[in-house]
Amino acid sequence: MIKNKKLIIITILLGIMLLCLYLAIYAGHKDLGFSLVKKAFNTGNDTDSLILNFLRYPRAFKAFVAGSCLALAGMFMQAVSKNPLAEPYITGISSGAGLGIVLSVLLFNSVNYSVFGFFGALISSLLVIVFAGFSRFSITKLILIGLSVNIFFSSLISLIILVNPLKSYTMMLILSGGISANGAVSDKILLIMFITGLIISGLFIPKLNYLRLDSELLESNKGRKYLYTVMLIITAAFLTSLSVFSAGILGFVGIIAPQISRMFFGQDYRWLFVSNLLLGSSLILFSDYIARTAIFPLQIPLGFVVAFIGAPVFIYFLTRKGDMFRD
Amino acid sequence: MIKVKDLYYNVENLNLFENADFEIPSNKLTVILGPNGAGKTTMLKLISGIIKPQKGKIISDAKELFYLPQKIKYPQGITLTEYIESYFYKNNWTWFLSKKEKNKINDAISLMELSDKKDVLIDNLSSGELQKANIALGIVSDADVILLDEPTANMDLVNRIKVLKFIKKLTQKGISIVVILHDINLCISYGDWFLGFTKNHKIISGEKENFFTAENLKQIFGIDFRVVKDNEYIQVFN
Repeated sequence: MIKNKKLIIITILLGIMLLCLYLAIYAGHKDLGFSLVKKAFNTGNDTDSLILNFLRYPRAFKAFVAGSCLALAGMFMQAVSKNPLAEPYITGISSGAGLGIVLSVLLFNSVNYSVFGFFGALISSLLVIVFAGFSRFSITKLILIGLSVNIFFSSLISLIILVNPLKSYTMMLILSGGISANGAVSDKILLIMFITGLIISGLFIPKLNYLRLDSELLESNKGRKYLYTVMLIITAAFLTSLSVFSAGILGFVGIIAPQISRMFFGQDYRWLFVSNLLLGSSLILFSDYIARTAIFPLQIPLGFVVAFIGAPVFIYFLTRKGDMFRD
Repeated sequence: MIKVKDLYYNVENLNLFENADFEIPSNKLTVILGPNGAGKTTMLKLISGIIKPQKGKIISDAKELFYLPQKIKYPQGITLTEYIESYFYKNNWTWFLSKKEKNKINDAISLMELSDKKDVLIDNLSSGELQKANIALGIVSDADVILLDEPTANMDLVNRIKVLKFIKKLTQKGISIVVILHDINLCISYGDWFLGFTKNHKIISGEKENFFTAENLKQIFGIDFRVVKDNEYIQVFN
């Protein structure tokens, strides 16, 4: 019976995600009907197809990647640190990735940004882990050190942007969070990397179900525990760099999606994986739809919209089912 | 067989163990007794390798070791069965458990008499039931050495006896068990080998007959006890 309930919730989440996907692709200033679906894939030359192919599809795709990657990275980090606040943005992993991408924009013009993003994310996660103490993450210490790393890297990014006015637009986009539709070539690479990321994540999902046991109880199997932890942190860094690469630095998604999912599914990471994938992408898809259309022709920075939508939703769930968070 | 040789361990300038030297026999139920702060839990952590001694050696022939700490944080929102399933994902790369593994879990659950709570969320189990679930976790771990830190705390008398009887049975299957207990009279009936940790951090070891003397108990707990022996039956009074 419990399983059926979970299946129903997953179906609802899938429905919500498809609705958001529909909004992101077909709704907006220029309303495009469903009838265009076929046409679009035939790369027609009329305006509607062009809008779809060169604006809406890439944008929706990036929103999907950013949302799901952030939610999954947040889930991984929370599972590993056993801390509900651990998240790519707060712990400075996102800004590490941002710094990597900004540096690559600055130094190498348009080499593959994402590689730099990944190493940036990896370096910042290693920094946080080393300083916070590897084996015993103290909740407060982890967050405080993460915040410091975050602020440090963010100011470095701001500094680089300030002294390089020529390339500042691309870099600003990374810092404030936002999706640009251009760069169609790299979409293929992004798709490959996204699928790789999903496969690696899927591979480690059973390990999360092992790591949910008490951390001291797992200590007598130190080797395994540390191996899995390190692999999961690298995966989280990789996912974070993908999200920053496609939509800039976005906060909050990495907390909201995993926590709401946990209220529905408990700590069974097989369900949580699917749920986070759907919830995270829905959140960004919908936010980007609002960002794009709310005060057309102007665009609101995506980060603002995420916060506007995310914060009330999160508080609503917290107050309703807050007893999940007693320690 | 686990041998502890000339072990030295200090915490914050307090010499918890100095030249600690004792053995833990294989396939036996070893009981650790002693007052609070004598270093019982620390010794279990040393044996399980979680912490390293500053000097000395622990020689162990354990292939797989399961350590159950005293305080445990439980995951939320999963059922008792799923909680025990967690352990199988250690080696598994698949998302679902095989039939064989599921049967093993069911067996462990029914052994601990938890079958009727199988699908209850662990958030809603009593602390005694949770402890039994943890012991079930130890059973499915396939460990040949199991270290339990006060597994019967929070249990009623009947369950204490049941769990001890059960643990005792496990030793016949080739599993060595070390358990910290506070109920002296109960452990006399089930223990095979006894380790007493004194207030002054000395370790006394022995079999039932030699271990339970008024002198030893005075040394361990610092108060007087009266030991009544009637053939194999020993009872300790204050």
